[in-house]
This record gives sequence, C-alpha cells and structure tokens, in this order.
Amino acid sequence: MSEVGISIHGVRKSFGSVEAVRDISLDIHEGEFITLLGPSGCGKTTTMRMIAGFEEPDAGTILLRGESVLGIPPNKREVNMCFQHYALFPHMNVAKNIAYGLKLKKVPKDERDRRVKEMLTIVRLEGYEERKPGQLSGGQQQRIALARALVNRPAALLLDEPLGALDVKLRKQMQLELKRIQHELGTTFVYVTHDQEEALSMSDRIAVMNNGVIEQLGPPRTIYEQPESPFVADFVGVLNAIEFRIHQIDGPDAVMKVGEGERLVVPLAGTGASVGGSLLVAVRPERVWLRVGAEPADAHHASRLGGTIGQMVYLGTLTQFHVDTALGRRIIVHELSDGAMSGAHEGDAVTLSWPRDDAAILHDDQG
Amino acid sequence: MATDAVAVPRREKGRRRRSGGGAPVTLGLLSGPLVWLIVFFVVPVILIGLYSVGAVTLLRNDYFLSLTPWKQFLTSSTYTGLFWKSFRMSLGVSITSVVLAYPVAYLLALVAGKRKYTLLLVIIAPFLTSYLLRVLAWRVILGEQGVVNSFLQTAGVIGQPLEWLFYSNFAIYAVLAYVWVPFVALPIFVTLESLDLHLLEASADLGASRWRTFWTVTFPLSVPGVIAAFIFVFIPTLGEYITPTLVGGPGGYMFGSAIQSAMTTGLDWQFGSAMAMFLVAAVGILIAVFGRYLNVQAVTE
Amino acid sequence: MNPAVSAGGRRGLWVSFWLLSIFLYAPIVILIVFSFNDRELVSFPWQGFTVRWYREFVSNPTLVDALKVSMVVALLAAVLTTLLAIPASIALVRRRFFAKPLVSGMLLAPLVIPLVVFGTALLILFNLISVVPFGPFTVAIGHVVISVPFAILTMVPRLERIPIALEEAARDLGASLWTTFRTITLPLLAPAVLSAFLISFTISFDEVVVVSFIAGDTTTFPLYLYSQLRLPRSLPQVIAVAVVVLVASVTVIAASEIGRRISDRKLEGDTAVFDDDEEVVVA
Repeated sequence: MSEVGISIHGVRKSFGSVEAVRDISLDIHEGEFITLLGPSGCGKTTTMRMIAGFEEPDAGTILLRGESVLGIPPNKREVNMCFQHYALFPHMNVAKNIAYGLKLKKVPKDERDRRVKEMLTIVRLEGYEERKPGQLSGGQQQRIALARALVNRPAALLLDEPLGALDVKLRKQMQLELKRIQHELGTTFVYVTHDQEEALSMSDRIAVMNNGVIEQLGPPRTIYEQPESPFVADFVGVLNAIEFRIHQIDGPDAVMKVGEGERLVVPLAGTGASVGGSLLVAVRPERVWLRVGAEPADAHHASRLGGTIGQMVYLGTLTQFHVDTALGRRIIVHELSDGAMSGAHEGDAVTLSWPRDDAAILHDDQG
Repeated sequence: MATDAVAVPRREKGRRRRSGGGAPVTLGLLSGPLVWLIVFFVVPVILIGLYSVGAVTLLRNDYFLSLTPWKQFLTSSTYTGLFWKSFRMSLGVSITSVVLAYPVAYLLALVAGKRKYTLLLVIIAPFLTSYLLRVLAWRVILGEQGVVNSFLQTAGVIGQPLEWLFYSNFAIYAVLAYVWVPFVALPIFVTLESLDLHLLEASADLGASRWRTFWTVTFPLSVPGVIAAFIFVFIPTLGEYITPTLVGGPGGYMFGSAIQSAMTTGLDWQFGSAMAMFLVAAVGILIAVFGRYLNVQAVTE
Repeated sequence: MNPAVSAGGRRGLWVSFWLLSIFLYAPIVILIVFSFNDRELVSFPWQGFTVRWYREFVSNPTLVDALKVSMVVALLAAVLTTLLAIPASIALVRRRFFAKPLVSGMLLAPLVIPLVVFGTALLILFNLISVVPFGPFTVAIGHVVISVPFAILTMVPRLERIPIALEEAARDLGASLWTTFRTITLPLLAPAVLSAFLISFTISFDEVVVVSFIAGDTTTFPLYLYSQLRLPRSLPQVIAVAVVVLVASVTVIAASEIGRRISDRKLEGDTAVFDDDEEVVVA
C-alpha cells in the first residue's frame, strides 16, 4: 500500500442553507493521479478548495502527509493549485509568473532562474521567459500555469478543470501532456472535472461524486464496468438501465421472461432476491450484440430480446442504435460503424443479445 | 438526470469568493475610512441636531436645552418661505436638467453605436471642471456688461442691456441647469444602455411605432435611472446658494444663503443649526422615499 | 431598421446633441477667448489681443497665495482620500461582512449631503474640539469626506474586474495577504488609484462652500475667485488663472480617463477567459 499523501475524513461544508459537501472521506496516495468526477454542484471543487485552504470545512479533518492543515491559510500549505482559467498575473512576464512562489520562499536568484528554465523545458516551452501572458495561446497559458505551480515542488498539485477552456483536439493533447508530466515528476495530482472521458483516460483512480458525497471510488475500469449505483452508471458512459422482474431463479441467476423466445438473465451475485421481486439491471451499449432478423448474434448468449431499430446516430467510429423493444423502453446499442450492422436501416427488425456476465445489478440507495 | 453545467446560474447569491484572513482583516480595512467618516461626518451632523436644541452651546447668547430656535424658525414665514423657494428652485432645476439630458443620453445609449463612450466623455467632461468657473463664464456672458448684452448693443440690436438675462430667476435656472446636465446624463445613460434591445425589436415586431415603443417600453424601463438622476440633482440643489447669489441678484437669496449667513456673519448658530437640521430632515425623507433608486450601479460606470 | 429611432428622429437627436455640446462648451470657450481681451471689463467690445493678464496674475500676492493654499490643501486631501478609499474599496468588493448595505451607505452618504449642511456641521465640530486650528488642515479634512465616495466609486469597478483567482493564485503560491495586495492587487489597481487621486484633487481644488465655513483666515483659490466675482477688482487676472486651471484640469482628467479606459480594456483582454467562473464556487 503506497503511503497516504492527503487524508480527508468526514468532511462537511455548507454555504448558507446549501450543503455543498455532505460527508467526504478519501485517502489520496502519494504520487497517484486521482480525479474527482461529477456534475456541477456535486461538491468536487469545494472539496478541492478545502484541500488548498480557500475554504475551511465545517466538520471533519484534512491531513497532509500526516499533519492536519485545518486552520492553516493557503499560503502556508504545501499544495499548489492550477486554476481553471489559469490566473496568470497579467502584469508579469512568464519567468516572473513562474518564479513568483520561489521568490516568496526566498530562493536565490540563480537557482530561481535555473528552476524556471527547467520547468519551461518540462512543459516544452523553452525560451518563453520574456513573453507576457496576453501573448500566449490558451494551451500555452495552461502549461505556464502548470509550471508556476509545479516549480515549487508541492506535496500535491490540485487541478481545477484546467482543460475546460480548450478546444477538443488541444484538450486531448494536453491530457497526454499532463499524464506525462505527472509521471516524470511523480507529484500527486488531484484533478477535478465533469468530463468522464477525461477522467477515464487520465486517472489512476476516480472518485465519482454526487450531491456532496462520493458514490464510488476506484480505478477507471472498475468504475466503468462495475458501477455501483445508478448515478455512477449513468454519469460514466452511456447505460441501459432495465427494470427487471424476477420470474424465475435459475441457479445463480435471475431470469425474466419477456416474450416468445425472449428472456433476460442476470447473475444474482449473492443478492438475496426472490421470485416476484424487481431489480434494476445495467448493460453497457457496447456489450449488446445486434443482428438484423430473428436470430441472435451468438446462440450462447444468455439474454436475448427482439426489437425494431427506432433511430440510428452516426458517431464516427461507432454508430448508436436506439432499438424499440417489448420491454417498453429503448435499448441503446453501440456497434462499429463498418461492422456487421453497416447495412441496417431504421425500422429493421433486429435481435439483441448479450452474454450472461455482461449484465449487472445496480444497487440504488436502498439496495 | 445529471445536472449539467449549462443550467447553473452564473451568480449564486452568497457563494461569492472572498479573500481569506477572517474578520480581523475586514475590521482593519474598514477601520480607517469608517472612523474618519464617523468622526468627521456622522458625529458633526448629529452635533448640528444637538446644537439646535441647545444640548451643545458655544456662543454666549445660546439658549440652553430649549426648542426656541426651532420655534423661531418654524413660525417664521420668511424663513420657511425661503425653504420652499429653494425647494421650487431645486424642482425646476432638476426637471430642466433631466429633460435636457434625456435626449442626449438616449442618443448615446441607443443610437450612437461605437462612439458612445467617447461622446459621453465629451458631455461629462465639463462637469469635471471647476463649478465656479462655469458660473463665472455665465456671469461673463449674461451680465449687464457681459458678452451677450455688449454684443447686442455693439451690433445695435438693442439700446439698453436686457435685464432679465442677469440677476434674475432665468439666470439661476439657466446656470444651474448648465452645471448639472452633464452629471445627470450619466445615470440615464447607464440605465438606457442596459436596456435589452430585443424588447424594442419585439415591440416593433408587434406593430408599434417608434414613438409608441418609446412611451410604452423604453421610457418606463428607464424611469429608475431618471429618478436616480433627479434625486442626485435635487438634494444638493436644495442647499445651493453660490449660483443664486452670483447670478440671481437680490432675488437670489436662498435657504442655503440663510444658513450660511446665520453661521458665519449673523452668528446665530442655533437658528442656523435648526435650519440646517431641517434640511437634513428633508433630505432624509427624500432618501427614505426614493432611496431604492439610488443603488450604486446608477452612478458607477 | 433601428427600433429605437427613426431617420428623422435620429437627425433630431443628433441636432440636440450638438446643440447641447455647444451649450456646454461655448461659455468655456468664450471665457478663454475673453481672457485675452485687453480690457478691464470682461465683455465686448474687443480691445485687442493680449496675454498681460496671464503675466500679471503672478505679481498679485493675494492671488498667488490663494493658489498655493489650494494646491497644498488639494494635495493633502487627495493623498488622504486615496489612502482611505483603497482599503474601503477592497472591503466592499472582496470581503463579506455584517451590515454591508449600511456601511456602504455610510461611505457613500457624503455624495448626497448638501454642502451647506456639511459646512455647518464641521464648523460646530471644530469649534467644539479645537484640536486643529482653522485653516488648510480643517479644509482638507472636510474635503476628504466629500471625495471619499468618488474615490471609492472609481476604484470599485476596477477592483471588480480584477479576477479574484489572481489573488488566490498568489496566496496559493505562498503570498501573505499584504504581499498579495502589494504585488498583485495594487499594480493592477493603479490606474484607478491615479484616477481617484486626480478626482479628489480636482474636487478639493474647486470646492468653495465648505471652505467658506471653516477656512478661518486662509483663502483658497475658489474662495478668492468667489470674492472677486462679488466685488471684482482684478477680475481679468483671476479669469486668466481660472482658464489655466480649467485647461490643466480638463487635460489631466481627459488623459487619465483615456488612460484608464485603455488599461481597463487591456485588463479585460488579459483576463478575458475569466468571465463565467467568477461567482460560482460550487462545481
């Protein structure tokens, strides 16, 4: 187990009558890239600002490398922040911006210059010392902001949706850059975003937040493939959430009969459920197989369902099929655009199917 | 289901980010200005009130703890009449200024396009110059031996100098309106500028003529700015006496003149204080009634 | 098609604008023109171009003294006003505190008080507690009160345009509150500070009502001008000085305003990205 860099326990924060953070506990490991992911208002930025010291929690503790930082002002905490809109000082050039923190720590001029230069090399903007922030593009400002924070060798770097203002292509490039820099320096990165793709592609672990609490914490793959709540499942990736009636228990599985030759199967995985009960079952669109006609893609697929293609949405690599079924709701299926379904049209009769293991039960708050 | 960033309102009341440090810092920041204003503004005004009822006395003839100065003032038709004279003058000047400034503010806010701020500066700049100077300029222009009269006489248009031009009510109104119009233009401009043009377009789209659009849409929405401007002229002008003295002649004796002479030459401080306090009360009532129009936005650019 | 104005209306409005501008500037222009008139009376007929009034006023001791006093008072008042208005503005924009409307009302109240009342008030105060003798200092004190609202109204908009994220970034990097102010806020606020200083200076230099109550034996330039207007003795000289003051003040104010606008636009450009996020904390 890697050592704990930042430890948050039982933290709460309200603004007036609004509870921004209800109960957060989280251990951030030294050197990891962890993302706080969630929609606006979920409390992720507030949590970050409490780590940085711009807000104080109403209750709970925050430890940085074992020592409490409660009550310590932001300028005395050993974490640095990369602000959403960069917050570069417009009246100073790049070198002075980056050196700002060093100067405050009374680092001598020679070493300051050296470290500024070193940092500029790491963010691949050598020679930019004399430029003013107003002369830089968004992506460049981003990297300078990063350099300014990292040059101080903080215990952790907090990034508040730093890529939000960049266009898509630049954002993807910067994601790779950030990952590379983080690896190179080994600094703990605490990243805040509402973009789940960003979180999935960059993080060692993701904390999915909603309404002031952490709904699930884990590596990206786990979050995506084994969402523990309807919210997580829906927020991260697209999801089919099916209201499942248990008609039959078949060994370790629950079975729902839908119609002639149509049945859905889900592993119970130890849940104490009985015939007549109902569940919420999730299956990812890319796990559903789609074939024109009455036959499933694979005879061994445990679940199969008939339907008609209601709508097709072309997404480039993937095509998204919205299929009307006897369940009374549309099932969304993702297929490769040049795959087996490339000749399909809206209105075609199709068969959906998927293996037993690709369906999972969603636990909601009561579950 | 997931609350999206788009739906969040831009300003969430009470969530505004503040700098750190807590209450001691705020106290430190405010202590200087507040102490100064309390000592040199709030307290002195209170002192006027106390002085007028004899709770504080400084001159030998002052009554001690008595309402006599007030009785003297309120029963004197001369002096209460002076107040109403000043009131009427203020009213006239304020209305004139607003009426003169409105079209210009309208032009700049809704018609002038890119040049509006420069042109606004052109209109406002005179206000930033010396008040006395501008009164002086008018004295020079309107006076008996002033520019207008001497020009007309030299040109042979008139034989005698025009009397109503100077040392008259006309002169007071003209000069004071002249002084205040630049100042008044600003709040009206600000209000008109913040108007949503789509409202005007909608009105036109629904068939209204421009005139009708103005009276039913634009003007009603600009009323808060107009009232703010009006009050900003009205209140100081209640106590105005410099211009009336300089260009109003003997008819230019105002409530403010009475207070000034009571305090400086007449040396009846209690009477003067009573009058001053009365003016404070009048201003207080006006602010209480119209205060909500005086939000800071009306004056900040 | 502009729904706000018709073609005829547009012409009418522009005419009214130009008429008003002429109305506003003509007296000043006339004053300037007649300051060169070689005549003891400021009126027609024109008796020849001269600059003698501009030369003569220098040898008028009363006038020169009055000017000196005004300069000193205005300088003092402007410095004090600015020093008080900066923390007040910061408190209003960046701090959250109890009874804020009341406090801001009090700070801005001098804007609406009739000056006769204020003069009376200070007259009583300074007679009651005679700590400072009547003279330049008492006048400066009064002028500070009158100018502070204007100074605050100049600095607050500028301060609001400085994104708080800049100050937070500075603190995050290790700066104390004072260092943040010194290295980040103040440099960025500087144009507004200068504007506030100039406005306070102008207000003080021109003020005559309060001065007439509490100046004691000293005379300021406006007071001298006022007395000259009532009983003219050296009116043309006074006018010459007045014209100099006028031209100087218009130039300075115009330059500072233009400078301030340019720097405001530059600040907006440099921090343009900051538009949305400013007020929303929870995300």
